[in-house]
Amino acid sequence: MNILQIANVTKRYAGHTALDDVSLEVPKGSIYGLLGPNGAGKTTLIRVINRITLPDAGAVTFDGHHITDDDIRHIGYLPEERGLYKKMKVGQQAVFFAQLKGLSRREAVERLKKWFVRFGIEDWWEKKVEDLSKGMAQKVQFITTVVHEPRLLIFDEPFSGFDPINANLLKQEILRLRDNGSTVIFSTHNMSSVEEICDHITLINKSRNILSGSVDEVRRRFGENIFEVTYRGDPATLENAVAPMAEILGTAEVSDTPYHTTRLKLDPAATVRQTVAAVNDAIELRSFHEVIPSMNDIFIRAVEGKL
Amino acid sequence: MNKIRIIIAREFNERVRKKSFIITTILMPVLMLALMAAPTLIMLFAKGDTKHLLVIDDSGIIAPQLENGDDVIFEATDRSLEQARADTDVFGVLWIGGDIVDNPADVKLYTNSSSSMALESTITSQMERIIENERLKRYNIENLEQIMKDVKVKVSLSAYRTDLTEGEEPAEATSSALAYGLGGLMGIILYMFLIIYGSMVMTSVIEEKGSRVLDVLVSSVSPFQLMTGKILGVASVAATQVAIWAILICGVGAAMMSALVPSDVMETVRAVEAGTITSAQAGMDADLISAVSLATNPAQMVMMFVYLLLFLVGGFLFYSAMFAAVGSSVDSIQDAQQLQTPITIPIILGFILMMTVFEDPNSTIAFWGSIIPFTSPIVMIARIPSHIPSWQIILSLVLLYASVVAMIWLAGRIYRVGILMHGKRPSFKELLSWIRQ
Repeated sequence: MNILQIANVTKRYAGHTALDDVSLEVPKGSIYGLLGPNGAGKTTLIRVINRITLPDAGAVTFDGHHITDDDIRHIGYLPEERGLYKKMKVGQQAVFFAQLKGLSRREAVERLKKWFVRFGIEDWWEKKVEDLSKGMAQKVQFITTVVHEPRLLIFDEPFSGFDPINANLLKQEILRLRDNGSTVIFSTHNMSSVEEICDHITLINKSRNILSGSVDEVRRRFGENIFEVTYRGDPATLENAVAPMAEILGTAEVSDTPYHTTRLKLDPAATVRQTVAAVNDAIELRSFHEVIPSMNDIFIRAVEGKL
Repeated sequence: MNKIRIIIAREFNERVRKKSFIITTILMPVLMLALMAAPTLIMLFAKGDTKHLLVIDDSGIIAPQLENGDDVIFEATDRSLEQARADTDVFGVLWIGGDIVDNPADVKLYTNSSSSMALESTITSQMERIIENERLKRYNIENLEQIMKDVKVKVSLSAYRTDLTEGEEPAEATSSALAYGLGGLMGIILYMFLIIYGSMVMTSVIEEKGSRVLDVLVSSVSPFQLMTGKILGVASVAATQVAIWAILICGVGAAMMSALVPSDVMETVRAVEAGTITSAQAGMDADLISAVSLATNPAQMVMMFVYLLLFLVGGFLFYSAMFAAVGSSVDSIQDAQQLQTPITIPIILGFILMMTVFEDPNSTIAFWGSIIPFTSPIVMIARIPSHIPSWQIILSLVLLYASVVAMIWLAGRIYRVGILMHGKRPSFKELLSWIRQ
């Protein structure tokens, strides 16, 4: 079941097309990575989902029905450019945002107090936002995004501005929200965090959806039959042994150890089994594994058009 | 609707709790009084030293009749002009020719430092009076002095408005001076509120845009709700401020005036109010009586404040929507300068048209100025104390509030696009295209 379905959405501004026939499906309970270079159209897509801007063509379906303004309170959005009222007190401000999302005043205070305790910031309630550091303000902003327990969360670069400890705290919270039944859309340039927490991705480039799928499937799809062998022995022997079935991409010594590593690109006809056997006969094998491209590589290759 | 209420509440609470709001609310009436007292105070302090003038009167007629005053003392002398002019202890020398009665240009003032308009007009007016008398004397009229005293007259005009009493004999003169003063004061207050609170809305939108709070807000509320909530919130702050002033002025004013005004004056005022006597019979100035009567009559004061509030809120909503639209389309206050000129010009025009109300509150230009929404709040509030027909006030209010709706809709179209635009300041052409979008 998909919580969000975007079908053939197009949005044009005077002079340029921000979204060109974009379709994607976000499965319920997933963490969905929305990737793409700057200016690709991610923010416009997020605004279309939030109904901040309306598409010129195409449809957005939320939880099985055409999205309406009423659905907005089931969405929590953390924009890339964070903003809080500087002169307002933290607590008052959080209550204000929670009320706008449809919580009653009492409910908002109750839930916010819990969140403040969880983040260890309960004594900030009476502080003014301008007295907080950037990271502190980010925490407050995160809480205001999730306090109404939205079914769909949209985070735009959530980790920017956080130190590693707080980034980790945030990651745990995102995973916990997912486990509690929320769906998370996650827009970022940080590819390692995509590999770590995303189940599915969509890559948008030049206003178009150029790549969609589950992270594992995408990475496998981009695999090029490359394997890395770590071994003790003469690299020349290994090269001779595998020459009929693979191309040698390069060999390196593993510093401070007697081992070498060699990268092989297997011929389409060759099997892994054959290759391992040949390698095993030639040298003292320590490890043999497939090199799966990182999301970073895939991102660059996809954007540069080398699909 | 509920979301608009939450936004109004935030705007209101944040502003009303500010120290600056509390201070201006309390200090403003004091400042207003000071401003009104300023001309009198300036006159008082601007008065120069008493000037000492030597008078050489070849005719021998003028000098004995010159009257000394607070600012000038005349001293007749028989020294020669050269000698007198050499005397630097005095302010100067007034030389009057022998044939002054027939040749009034034959008079010269020599001073040791710069002369003053006031001094020169004192001299000429005194001399004119003396010469006129001298010329009259030539006709050898008997009992001239007695006749002169007899013919001297000062007309005190009492103006009555027959349209207000529907044919009945009007009880008491209406004071035009008071109506103009009150209208002008309310017009100025309104003008200041439109400009000050209008730019407050604009600045606050620019701040929200700059701090990116808007990006967060628009994911919860529609831009239209956001803008409407903001201007209604600020409007309620302005209304609160005026209401507090109303209470302060009506309450304290009524109490203070009764205590300050001498009891016999109060009695006269009450008698005039009751219609038992007229101000002319009481021998008092009609303007003074109307002023005291108004200041000690809370019901009348409250009515004025109700009108002020109605036009203030209407005028503010009319203009603040546009201020919000301009704020939404720029990134900095500097960029806003040029775009806000089309908004400030009609406000200033309203202020200028208000001046014509003092000439004649029922002139064609004052009438249309107070009906057409762009200038109507300021011009109409200035006309109201002149007891204009109610249908005009009602028409003006209806048109104003109807165009508020249109204005908010129009501004909302710009605001909706503007808040998401960052970078280059848009041109007027682009703003128009946003409305159509």
